[in-house]
Amino acid sequence: MAWHRFLDHTSEITLHVGAADWPGLLAEAGLGLAELLLRGAVAAAPDPETGWRSLEVSSHDREALLVDWLNEIVYLAETRLWVPQEIEIEESSDTHLKARACGVTVEESPSLVKAATFHGLHVRDLAEGLDAEVILDV
Amino acid sequence: MTEKTTHYPAVRLDPVSVEIPKSARPDMLVPARVWADEELWKKAVSDRTLDQLVNVATLPGACGCVHAMPDAHEGYGFPVGGVAAFRARDGVISPGGVGYDINCGVRLLAADVGYGEMKQRLEPLVHDLSRAIPSGTGRGGALKLNVPELDRVLAQGCRSLVERGLATQEDLEHTEAEGSFATADPDKVSSRARERGKDQLGTIGSGNHFVEVQRVETIYDEEAAEALGLWKGQLTILIHTGSRGMGHQICTDYVRSMDAVMAHHGIKLPDRELACAPFASPEGKAYFAAMCAAANFAFANRQVITHAARQVFRRALGGSGDLRLVYDVAHNMAKLEQHGKQKLVVHRKGATRAFGPSHPETPAAYRSVGQPVFIPGSMGTASYVLVGTDEAFGLSFGSTCHGAGRAMSRTAAKKVKSGQEVRKDLERQGIVVHGSPGELAEEAPHAYKDVDRVVQVVHDAGLARKVARLRPVGVVKG
Repeated sequence: MAWHRFLDHTSEITLHVGAADWPGLLAEAGLGLAELLLRGAVAAAPDPETGWRSLEVSSHDREALLVDWLNEIVYLAETRLWVPQEIEIEESSDTHLKARACGVTVEESPSLVKAATFHGLHVRDLAEGLDAEVILDV
Repeated sequence: MTEKTTHYPAVRLDPVSVEIPKSARPDMLVPARVWADEELWKKAVSDRTLDQLVNVATLPGACGCVHAMPDAHEGYGFPVGGVAAFRARDGVISPGGVGYDINCGVRLLAADVGYGEMKQRLEPLVHDLSRAIPSGTGRGGALKLNVPELDRVLAQGCRSLVERGLATQEDLEHTEAEGSFATADPDKVSSRARERGKDQLGTIGSGNHFVEVQRVETIYDEEAAEALGLWKGQLTILIHTGSRGMGHQICTDYVRSMDAVMAHHGIKLPDRELACAPFASPEGKAYFAAMCAAANFAFANRQVITHAARQVFRRALGGSGDLRLVYDVAHNMAKLEQHGKQKLVVHRKGATRAFGPSHPETPAAYRSVGQPVFIPGSMGTASYVLVGTDEAFGLSFGSTCHGAGRAMSRTAAKKVKSGQEVRKDLERQGIVVHGSPGELAEEAPHAYKDVDRVVQVVHDAGLARKVARLRPVGVVKG
């Protein structure tokens, strides 16, 4: 079962996420970020035009892929006024992911988050799956 | 979870500074200096501030000491309130050492009327400011730019706004670097960064950004106050914002690209967010040029907000009235500066340049007193005006702190008081407040350190000299 929570940080927000496998972790991290982006959002409504969107991200290792994936969502939220609500990871490796997602549009950019950072970043393999921590600049 | 910092051997040098010696960790290249009295030192060791500062001391080309200012707290990569200088010849430049909000900064506008004259018109003034100056992270500004216009802003900053009637020559003279870094190169700015920034000129953004109406409550230095055109009882407006999505995306782009090439440059880091490249390398040069473009965008952003504030102010006074720009300073920058015989890339992350009277970059109008420095407190406390000292050049690469500094996480702050309670507290103090309950709760005064203490350490250390204390009377939160 995938899960996420937000941990205290003096000035930023730490996203702590866990899942049974790597695709699950990527999807859950995206949903955790989306939850933050939609806090206080104005007039969130289902996206009637696009339905499911295709998303694709490449990076040079597993940790960087997680950061780049989250930054892709930040970018879409700020420029397309769109935040994912359901995410399906179609393909994933340590350096590449393809996903489809459907979400909501908002009247104003909900982007509380400036960026996902590399600070203290880790993805850990555990007996029951994986977990990761990413600090988000807010 | 935020954890207490590692224990480092530390030596108190005097009542306002502590040094962590180079021997504290084998990979440190220079010592670390924390500007703090006993109380602020306790705060510095309560989170990961010192771990982050010691990490910075390992970066190639580090000179002198790395510094944590009195308002320092845990950030990412560098601590917020961190200052470090690296040799331009063989040292590095680090996007994480500047931060995502490139050239986040403050500017102070001084009115030609006193608070007493405006008191009855204060509430409509604050609400009119909130309507004229969009806040919130993604809200667009009134000024829409086409591609060539955006390129001009990125290349020239405030200078590009003069012919549009949005800035004056005096505004340029009263802005750090005259509001324009000639080293900017718009070609080094990605299409994504342009897309995030193109509609955001003239907007505050979210988080701790604000427009605050204040009155000059106390003058500490009459001569310096006169040089800055400040007098007791005067109405002032303080603007705090930065380069918005433009800067956020440029930092994201270059942290990513430098993370990928560090191995090629033989750089190993204790924290990936410190991703860096030699300043003289193609990657270092490209980031510097893009960062300067974002800095120009930020200067222009604060200038467009200034123009809007002036229009509001004139309306409030029936067509008369002026808001003179006292000065505009950057908080998050890496600047190429001459220090003694060395050219250094001075990184200030959540820190302010504070040059003294004799420095050639101090504006001509302020050569008798030093470059103005502004240290905002929190919504319910106070902000300070100071001037830089020649002494600070040797002490901290001519740097001082940028605010009170957070002492509490946003979650913890919200548990202490709700946004409604914070609003009522402020209104009881006669402060007109415009902001969402969530923002007010997260940015409440109790979430910050004691600004009076922070500023006193700055003053006593000789990093800058107190000139005036400003009391908030109206707040527009991002």
